[in-house]
Amino acid sequence: MRTRYLLRVAAAISLAALSSASAADKPYDGVTLTLASQNDQFATVMADLAPKFKEATGVTVKVDILSYPELLSKVTADFVGHTKGYDLATMDIVWAGQFAEGGYTVDLTDWIKRDAAEIKPDDIYPVLMSALGNYKGKQVAFPFAGYANVLAYRTDLYAAAGLKPPETMEDMVANAYKLTDPPKHYGFVANGQKGPAVAQDWMQYNAEMGGSILGADGKPALNSEANIKGLTVYKNLFDKTAPPGAADYDWGGREESFRQGLAAQMQTWSIGAPGYSNPEMSKIVGKVAITVAPPGKGLPKKYGVGGWGMSINADIDQKHKEAAWLWIKWLTSPAVHKEFNLRGAGSYLRISETHDPDLVAKFSFLPVVDEVFKNGDGEYRPRIPQYPQIQDLLGTAVNAVLVGHADPKKALDDAQAEAVKLF
Amino acid sequence: MSGLRRRFAPRNDGVASPAVIVHGRRLSYQSRRRLFLILLGAPALIYVVAIALWPLARGIGYSFYDYSLLPARTAFVGLDNYAALWTNEAARQSIVTTAVFTIAAVALEFALGLGLALLLWRDHPFQRACLALLLIPVTVTPIVAGLVFRALLAPDYGLIGYYLATSGLSSPHGLFGDPTTALSTLVAVDAWQWSPFMALILLAGLKSLPTDILEAAEADGATALQRFRMIVFPMLLPAVFLALVLRTMDAFRIFDIVFATTNGGPADATNVLMIYAVKQGLEFFNIGFASAIANLMILCIAVFSILFIALVRRADKRANEL
Repeated sequence: MRTRYLLRVAAAISLAALSSASAADKPYDGVTLTLASQNDQFATVMADLAPKFKEATGVTVKVDILSYPELLSKVTADFVGHTKGYDLATMDIVWAGQFAEGGYTVDLTDWIKRDAAEIKPDDIYPVLMSALGNYKGKQVAFPFAGYANVLAYRTDLYAAAGLKPPETMEDMVANAYKLTDPPKHYGFVANGQKGPAVAQDWMQYNAEMGGSILGADGKPALNSEANIKGLTVYKNLFDKTAPPGAADYDWGGREESFRQGLAAQMQTWSIGAPGYSNPEMSKIVGKVAITVAPPGKGLPKKYGVGGWGMSINADIDQKHKEAAWLWIKWLTSPAVHKEFNLRGAGSYLRISETHDPDLVAKFSFLPVVDEVFKNGDGEYRPRIPQYPQIQDLLGTAVNAVLVGHADPKKALDDAQAEAVKLF
Repeated sequence: MSGLRRRFAPRNDGVASPAVIVHGRRLSYQSRRRLFLILLGAPALIYVVAIALWPLARGIGYSFYDYSLLPARTAFVGLDNYAALWTNEAARQSIVTTAVFTIAAVALEFALGLGLALLLWRDHPFQRACLALLLIPVTVTPIVAGLVFRALLAPDYGLIGYYLATSGLSSPHGLFGDPTTALSTLVAVDAWQWSPFMALILLAGLKSLPTDILEAAEADGATALQRFRMIVFPMLLPAVFLALVLRTMDAFRIFDIVFATTNGGPADATNVLMIYAVKQGLEFFNIGFASAIANLMILCIAVFSILFIALVRRADKRANEL
């Protein structure tokens, strides 16, 4: 009898010890986090990985996948209205200024220092740490999905024309003219559609040609000589080397025209690169190479960087904030982030990833991504609170030029006159 | 409802009936009836206030402020937002574009609708089959109609757009990609979708016309044109005005088709007021200015409606006198 009693006590003590150990291992067990995510390739992969995070920590992560405008309006309404609908949100590179000024997201600077041994910040490309969420010294989001602007080109067309991959923007433009053979194929394609599509693509090309949206004083310089020249080159490329409908292409239209073999080269985000080798969606499998986007002759190597950071809602309680931080650390940890990319997220972050044999074997363009991130420029789209309005002004002005409604100087003069009113 | 309780009290006919006492005073039958009707209508009233009037009042209030969510700022500016609707070139252009679109679309739809209604006037199985087929565009969601036409008219791969571009009948950028043709193409798409609706209303008006007057006119030797000009059209006016008011209100707040096809471009060629308001409100979070645009639209639609309703009444009166 006594022995049975003792056994019972021992079992009870063991259970209690086990449960307290479990509580210590999983201090946020039972917490549910809601994450507002952009509908990019990484979103479904994150949703697929969430059960593993729950297994490891007891925290449930619900991923709400939204289109770009929906994400911006829902997250903004949640932050401004202090409704705590989302604990976490993916933050576009260009939103940092607006959200930082409003104080809507948790400043992660101290937490990054506190958990540096765990995070291994030295393994994260500095340009991503800076561009994807740092604003005036505050880390308002943590980078998790870096995109590299690269040049994708058709190896078969280049070989047939006896051309080498371009080393300068001038080479790329010259190649575009040589590779244009309508209606079989065109030498170049880029976004031309009014709005963010044309504004963002033109800002990229313009930066490579030495242009800049802001002047040295931080004020708009939309109608600078360099920008007018950059827009003139862009207009000529559209008129003489792009598919006829390109003035109405957004990202999807541009990618589709390349995958369907209509264009010989284009600059694009690295996230789209795996699609060119997918026979289900591409007619150019095995005929594409990826290289760095060429800068203008004599200009420094500065390659466009974009992507997403993850931010924590400043309104939620401390326990949810800590749980959200745990999720960010887990997702961006070397092992999980490698798994994230092996599953096709296309969202690079760590130096070790672009050199990882498994990843490089699967995605042969990773050395190019490494080169871009090492010489990356995350500021060619100014991350300032006035960015949405400036992007809109440029989106209308550049499109007007492309469709022949205005000449580059007048369009940029008009946009500049409106832009200065924002400051 | 505090202070309201019920008890049984004798009615005039001596039968015990429920009476209501409010704050110690017994209510009369008329008052009880009024209270009962108010209570019946209260849910609908609360719904309308919560869903329509309260947001409208807030919208009117916001329009007097420089109220922005990102970056957050609120400052009273009086009528500045309304003044900006005219002084801001993009806003002014969007008002003009909306007016041009509305007038052109409604006029074209009316002409096509009237023609279709006259063709379908005879009650014959062929006409009935045609009417059913003609109504198919009305059942298509406008955003889907926009996406379909965008694909059809694309100069690279569109079933129509490719041949128009290669034959030189449209610009190389396509009908939607050329600032000189984009708005008129939108008018044509809108007319494709809504002319049958206009025809349906006008046909209903035609079918309700008294046949004896028309037969008498025909017997007196009036030509078809004379019968149409002097009898049919004047008597059809109530239906005409009804069709015009419905379509004008709808065309003035066009959004879906423009959003799906041009999103206000190329340049600013199709930047109608709704597209402009959505951009100000949901992209720039400039709530004060977006509210001013919305209020202007409500005001314009209210003026159209009042004007058209007055015309319908007058026309109805005249038609009855005929």
